[in-house]
Amino acid sequence: MCITISNKNLAHRALGLLGLRASYVMRLIFWLTGLCTVLMGCQKAEPDAQPEEQIFQKPANFPEPVYALDRNRPTAAGMRLGRALFFDATLSRDGSIACAECHNQAYAFTHHQHDVSHGIDNQVGTRNSMPIQNMAWQSTFFWDGGVHDLDLVPIVPIENPVEMDEKSTNVINKLRKSAKYPAMFKDAFGTDEINGPRFLQALSQFMLTLVSGNSRYDKWVRKEPGGTLTDDEQTGLTLFRAKCSGCHAGELFTDNSFRSNGLSISPVNDLGRAQVTERREDRYKFKVPSLRNVEKTLPYMHDGRFYSIEAVLNHYAENVQFTETLDTLLQKNGKLGVEMTAAEKRQIIAFLKTLTDDQFLRDTRFVEP
Amino acid sequence: MITNSVVRIFLLALVTSATFVSCKKTEEDVIDPDTKNSVTVEFENRVGDQKLILGTTPYKNASGESFSLTALNYFVSNISLKNENGTVQKFPNQYFLVKQTDAKSKLITLKDVPSGNYTEMSFMIGVDSLKSVSPVTERTGVLDPTSYGDDGMYWSWNSGYIFLKIEGTSVAVPKTVNANQNFAIHVGGYGGGWNGSAKTVNNLRTITVPLTTKATVRANIAPEVHLFVDALKIFDGPNKLSLATTNSVHSPAVATPVAENYKTMFQVDHVHNNKQ
Repeated sequence: MCITISNKNLAHRALGLLGLRASYVMRLIFWLTGLCTVLMGCQKAEPDAQPEEQIFQKPANFPEPVYALDRNRPTAAGMRLGRALFFDATLSRDGSIACAECHNQAYAFTHHQHDVSHGIDNQVGTRNSMPIQNMAWQSTFFWDGGVHDLDLVPIVPIENPVEMDEKSTNVINKLRKSAKYPAMFKDAFGTDEINGPRFLQALSQFMLTLVSGNSRYDKWVRKEPGGTLTDDEQTGLTLFRAKCSGCHAGELFTDNSFRSNGLSISPVNDLGRAQVTERREDRYKFKVPSLRNVEKTLPYMHDGRFYSIEAVLNHYAENVQFTETLDTLLQKNGKLGVEMTAAEKRQIIAFLKTLTDDQFLRDTRFVEP
Repeated sequence: MITNSVVRIFLLALVTSATFVSCKKTEEDVIDPDTKNSVTVEFENRVGDQKLILGTTPYKNASGESFSLTALNYFVSNISLKNENGTVQKFPNQYFLVKQTDAKSKLITLKDVPSGNYTEMSFMIGVDSLKSVSPVTERTGVLDPTSYGDDGMYWSWNSGYIFLKIEGTSVAVPKTVNANQNFAIHVGGYGGGWNGSAKTVNNLRTITVPLTTKATVRANIAPEVHLFVDALKIFDGPNKLSLATTNSVHSPAVATPVAENYKTMFQVDHVHNNKQ
């Protein structure tokens, strides 16, 4: 119990009656005040003072995350639950497809060698599945940015008829009836109640932990052991900064914008961002993807039309098509595309490969439980 | 004499009682704003001058197209009641999903309404932009995007709620569009602009209806406002919509004429002010 004595005179008199000298009294007051502060401080700090290992860590060279971590900070139990859900085909209508089907760790959680992803009943969609990495730094999701909150992302593939074709309501019901999940929800959220928000938050917790920030490039930037770049790679980085970083900006290698990069318009006629905004000026614009682990995330572009990084650079160097929404950075000085010699392309690719983060691609924390 | 005095006493008694009655009446008219009661709003869905029955009941729109309905759902939110003094009583953070298949959902109860004579009611059809971008933990009950089962009220690929949906069948729907000639008109679009992203079409509409019979909330009166909701107006409002062309609406821009139409479909039929 801490008693604050506001009126010093009153206190002096009161203690004087008890025959105590003022100097002692003052000392006593200071001492008590100090004790109170210490006690209060301890009390206050207690709830936070469970130094559970930091499940989510921001690499030193990354900007502040966009995701509201205060709302749903990953914990060990939450991450375990999210991981179990991520690998569980129960999330699909017939129990055949898990998230991990199209988001494979070895390929930075994308669908390796599939231009567009294969879902339930061997149906195919129209877009290339995006890598799941560094989600805390993304402000919008999917190639058209139709989803503005990571927590709302999982409903999309679950309910898409050509992906998992299940109703999220059914997923929640199935989880409630399962043997293992009630206990896992209790570990993660305090009670064994299974509901939509918790389900979505658990998946977010797992996805948030998928941070790739330990590539050779990162180590070079942070001047850490193993952070060496060859001459070609360094030249490649200089070229990249001059020719590519207008869109693939910053440490995430994307400015999170939507741009039309001059791809020839395929018969699918995917309008991209305009499907969401319904604005003419957004036609054929797609999210500028991060280039982290780009060596492993083939094929490339929203429809997976390029099977190699070389093909991508050849597109920018030689095949950019004019469309009404073509990005201005791709039509400088009256020329379409980005000028690159064969040697420059090779050096840029050499640099891009330094963004491969083997530690992330092999991290056992992300493996199927 | 005796008869005369009896008459006099009788008359006196009559006057006295009349005075008492009138006194009591004046007492009643004093509105004590500290007392509260609930107001119930009933949404009675109809099709023109017919009862709305889901299934095969045939209806006809102004374009002469015969149709039947299989679903009519809409969100009601941001309800407010305007007092005769001009004071507006708001009911924030209360969201209701009216479904034709669920009789209970058609009765909305507003709790703790201060006593007063209310002359106007406003409400929004849809889920306001603030709630549309709120964290999942704040989307409970009818706003839980994982709660709709087969009766979806949420666009997952373009995050946002479906404010109103009407579905059914019509011979006017070309078989090339839908082999079973089903139509599905889903209206959403809260305006976008979240996380600095582009603005999208805003189809949130606020409806204001006068309460010609005042809703007189008292400690012992919980009024019931009975609304007629004419689904035919969805096709035959300010915009004449034909099912031959408007039969598959699943994004905000094309849904705007529909929202403009349903804005006109609500009217107060009567208000009950029964004493409890």
